Amino acid sequence: MSLTKIIISVLVALAAGGVFAATVGSGTLLSLLTQATIFAIFALGLGFLLRQNGMVSFGHATFYGTAGYIVGILLQTKAVPAEAAMLIAVLGIALFAFLLGLIVVRVPGIAFGMLTLAIGQMFFLTASRSRGLTGGADGMNIDWPSTLFGVPVSTLLKPDAMFALCWSVLVLIVLALALLLRSRFGAITEAVRDNEERARFIGIRTLVPRAAVFALSAGVTAIGGVLSALNTGFVSPESLHWSVSGVALMMVVVGGTRALWGPALGAIVYFLVKDVLGDYANHWMAIFGIGLIVVIVFAPQGISGALLRLAGKRRVAADRPPPAKRAAALD
Amino acid sequence: MIHLFNGLVYGALLIVMCSGLALIYGLRRVVNFAHGSLYMLGAYLGYTIASYSNFWVALVAAPAIMLLLGAALDRFGFRLLQDRDPLTVVLVTFGLLLVIEDVVQTVWGKGNLSLAAPALLSRTVDLLGTPVPAYRIAVIAVGAAVAIGLTLWLRWSRVGLFVRASSTDPTTTAMQGVNTDLLSAGVVGLGTALAGLAGVVAAPFLALSPSMSSDVLIDSFVVVVIGGLGSLAGAFVTALVLGQVQALGAVFLPDVAALLPFALMVAVLLWKPAGLAGSRT
Repeated sequence: MSLTKIIISVLVALAAGGVFAATVGSGTLLSLLTQATIFAIFALGLGFLLRQNGMVSFGHATFYGTAGYIVGILLQTKAVPAEAAMLIAVLGIALFAFLLGLIVVRVPGIAFGMLTLAIGQMFFLTASRSRGLTGGADGMNIDWPSTLFGVPVSTLLKPDAMFALCWSVLVLIVLALALLLRSRFGAITEAVRDNEERARFIGIRTLVPRAAVFALSAGVTAIGGVLSALNTGFVSPESLHWSVSGVALMMVVVGGTRALWGPALGAIVYFLVKDVLGDYANHWMAIFGIGLIVVIVFAPQGISGALLRLAGKRRVAADRPPPAKRAAALD
Repeated sequence: MIHLFNGLVYGALLIVMCSGLALIYGLRRVVNFAHGSLYMLGAYLGYTIASYSNFWVALVAAPAIMLLLGAALDRFGFRLLQDRDPLTVVLVTFGLLLVIEDVVQTVWGKGNLSLAAPALLSRTVDLLGTPVPAYRIAVIAVGAAVAIGLTLWLRWSRVGLFVRASSTDPTTTAMQGVNTDLLSAGVVGLGTALAGLAGVVAAPFLALSPSMSSDVLIDSFVVVVIGGLGSLAGAFVTALVLGQVQALGAVFLPDVAALLPFALMVAVLLWKPAGLAGSRT
């Protein structure tokens, strides 16, 4: 995709989000979509790891939940202003993930998934058992100050403002990642993903790029965690549990990772479908379980892959003369 | 002393669980996320069967039903997906987990149920001066029987030879005239039946609840990953060690007991990604 095309798509997406937030009056729909957008950021981070590194993490909820906890603890102890706390949470997690990544990305295949699962469960158990600051299994409330970046928090928490904020963050993250992948970094990570050994043969140092992808992925997920903490004003150990990672992974698979934005689409579809199911939502686990299996079996590229294929076919059809004429030309 | 004993009981249960998980991984290269749910399904099936007849019937019938279910899972699931990336198959089993959990909650409800131990075993036995429930000794016996039975079967029987050959190289084994599809269906069925057996065996001393699958699943993962994916001997030893770690840790290091298994797993994976007794990842 050319640069101008990317910029135009981003501007259109931002404007669409703004118009949508301004015109949709229903607060419930907007808060549903806010939640979906936050999870879309989470899934975007997780999908980025799968797309650029070919690795499946079963422990990404760790970064999502811990981001909320870091903000909560920093605000409770009044150590730093809220804006700094948000920044510290995201950057701190990205740095932690980079150091962790230097060690864990060496572990191949399914063992990596198990390793992230184990690390995630350690965080979950620690948070749910520790008393005091984090409130143990009950979770902790986050006392946000009255203003954030000069804007009253009460204004931010209005459904339309909150949705517009989360949507814009999502779009800007997609933009940042898309620009990053156009650089040499993108080419290197793809080479390493496709064949790490050959990438090493041509002189690429593979460990640092892979750890960097892991760190970026964790950082993006942490942004989702911070937004969730802002949206709900609450963080609990459940947000660290491996089943949350599993659900996010489900969104990634349903959305597909051929396109960068696929996982985000998967998350939004997940929430919309869950809402449409309404009365049947008690059985959402079975419905999504079956949905997941169907997508994996029949559309391994996910929804975004199917959309891209559809778009690609149409473009090819437009470029090429109709078959009848071509046959005539050959004669 | 009693802690060592309780550790052994849990270790025995893990042996039954993990041998199934390891068998399925060995033949199909699938890390089965649904294994914990299958264990739960086995336990609930056992509960229902026992309420119509008695515990002993349940002990045989529930694993038998799970055997058929496992064979069907292989025939209509894993076999069709065998050329796909192993990670996608893992996600299929995750989908299956969601479906089974929902089915169990819908059929049996969300409350806790309990299954009484059979009269024959619901008394205490004096073990070196400590009174212990006879049922728990029986659990250890089941674990030992599964471990010894599987080892002998794989080592000495003709089918066991085929299973070992097929988990080393399924293509070559098939070329030698072994029906590997049938073999896989049988082994996945056996693995699922073992999960069901573990469920029924666990039911009288752990409560039946929809959350029972998660803890056991994670513990079983820890065991098979530390022991080496697909390695039965590794899984047996690790299951016993993990049983002790949990039982003794809960007494002597209550603050970090729950973290110990994971810390152990992280350490082993970083040191040997294939696990202690594993040869592949």
